[in-house]
Amino acid sequence: MRNKLGTISLLVVGFLAISIPLFAHHGNASYDTEKTVTVKGAVTEYIWANPHVFVKVDAKDESGETSHWVIEAQNIVAQSTLGWTNTMFKPGDQVVIDVTPVKNGRTIGRFRGRIVINGQEFKPLR
Amino acid sequence: MRTHSISTISAAALISALAFLPTLRAQTAPPRSVDDINVDTWNSRPLRKPAYAGIKPAPAPRRDLSGIWDATGDAAGGAAPGVQNTGAHEYPAVLPGNNNPAGGEPDERKIPRQLPYTPLGEATLKAHKPTGMGVRSVAAVLGNDPLDICDPAGFPRIELYEFAVIEIAQTADQVILLNQFFRTWRTIWTDGRELPKNPEPRFEGYSVGKWVDDYTFVVETIGLDERTWLDNAGRPHSSELRVEERFHRVDHDNMELTVTIDDPKMYTQPWQALNKFPLRLQPRGFDIREVHCVPSDTAQYNNDIGDPSVAPEGK
Repeated sequence: MRNKLGTISLLVVGFLAISIPLFAHHGNASYDTEKTVTVKGAVTEYIWANPHVFVKVDAKDESGETSHWVIEAQNIVAQSTLGWTNTMFKPGDQVVIDVTPVKNGRTIGRFRGRIVINGQEFKPLR
Repeated sequence: MRTHSISTISAAALISALAFLPTLRAQTAPPRSVDDINVDTWNSRPLRKPAYAGIKPAPAPRRDLSGIWDATGDAAGGAAPGVQNTGAHEYPAVLPGNNNPAGGEPDERKIPRQLPYTPLGEATLKAHKPTGMGVRSVAAVLGNDPLDICDPAGFPRIELYEFAVIEIAQTADQVILLNQFFRTWRTIWTDGRELPKNPEPRFEGYSVGKWVDDYTFVVETIGLDERTWLDNAGRPHSSELRVEERFHRVDHDNMELTVTIDDPKMYTQPWQALNKFPLRLQPRGFDIREVHCVPSDTAQYNNDIGDPSVAPEGK
């Protein structure tokens, strides 16, 4: 299958002990948890809501083609515990985000660690 | 000029010293009580273990549960093992085959002693399609978890899943439990009344409580609406469910909650869903962040993520 993921770095990292997020209301059934995709692009929208906080990113590849990514986190309480806020992402922010992609090839993912916002790596609170 | 320089230096030194003061204070004078710990003024985040270093909790007050309590614990990532991800603890609280120390919904096929389901209990469990973690979990929009359409979590699910912060208030006749998630509350009557004989089902049920000693408050609850699930794994209950909660205040800052499930239609014997589950007192100024299940937000989530995640490949 040729899809838009092809031109974005796609790393198969094998089965990792992926920590189960706080208040994981929704599980991994639709996610390919063995893969990491690095999404680089510009934030277009940030939704700070339950059941899931999520961010939309337009990722442009070398050929200039844009793919519209939607990347979900957990709920507001869980994210705020990690130091996230409702102003953490703004439209236009340049981001690099490691995601676990969905199995069906859509440009949908789940945050799985590295987040860089305008060149600054975000360090979650512990 | 010289005077000016000295005063500038002095001011700088003073500012530096002041800047270090909180650090020095933190190093030399640990907080004496939980109320000395700073939390965010609004939308407070529960304290984590390092914040409590140096505190020796005072003895528990007599017949008093009041305060703001955190159930998310000090385990890795903040999630207390068991409850947030699995819902009810296993029976007993053992999960071989569960390779995640933070929990993970139990694999009903691998636990040595499954919950004591009746045939109806097992059939009802299988009819429930959870969307949380675990082997029975399906994608967010393919399940039938009542929470996915913002139906009430109800009791006891509020304590067996999404149990986060809870405020407890006491009056002469009631203990009132105020839940962070879904902003629901329960009234535990302590005025000596008996439980109703033929209760009309309610999502939060009917509860009466009594002190069995000065530090242990026991609550009995019946009359629960059987549309709710017991936990995130989809474990069932009937309207015959009877729940016992045992709140034991260990000391001023710590409480343990034990929850026993007794439902003869679904389980052949009572079982403990939580066994001495830890709750930690938060500072007095703790402001509870609200959590609602908002149908329009859920619809947006399903539209942007839930539905396309299970759409045919390549479309």
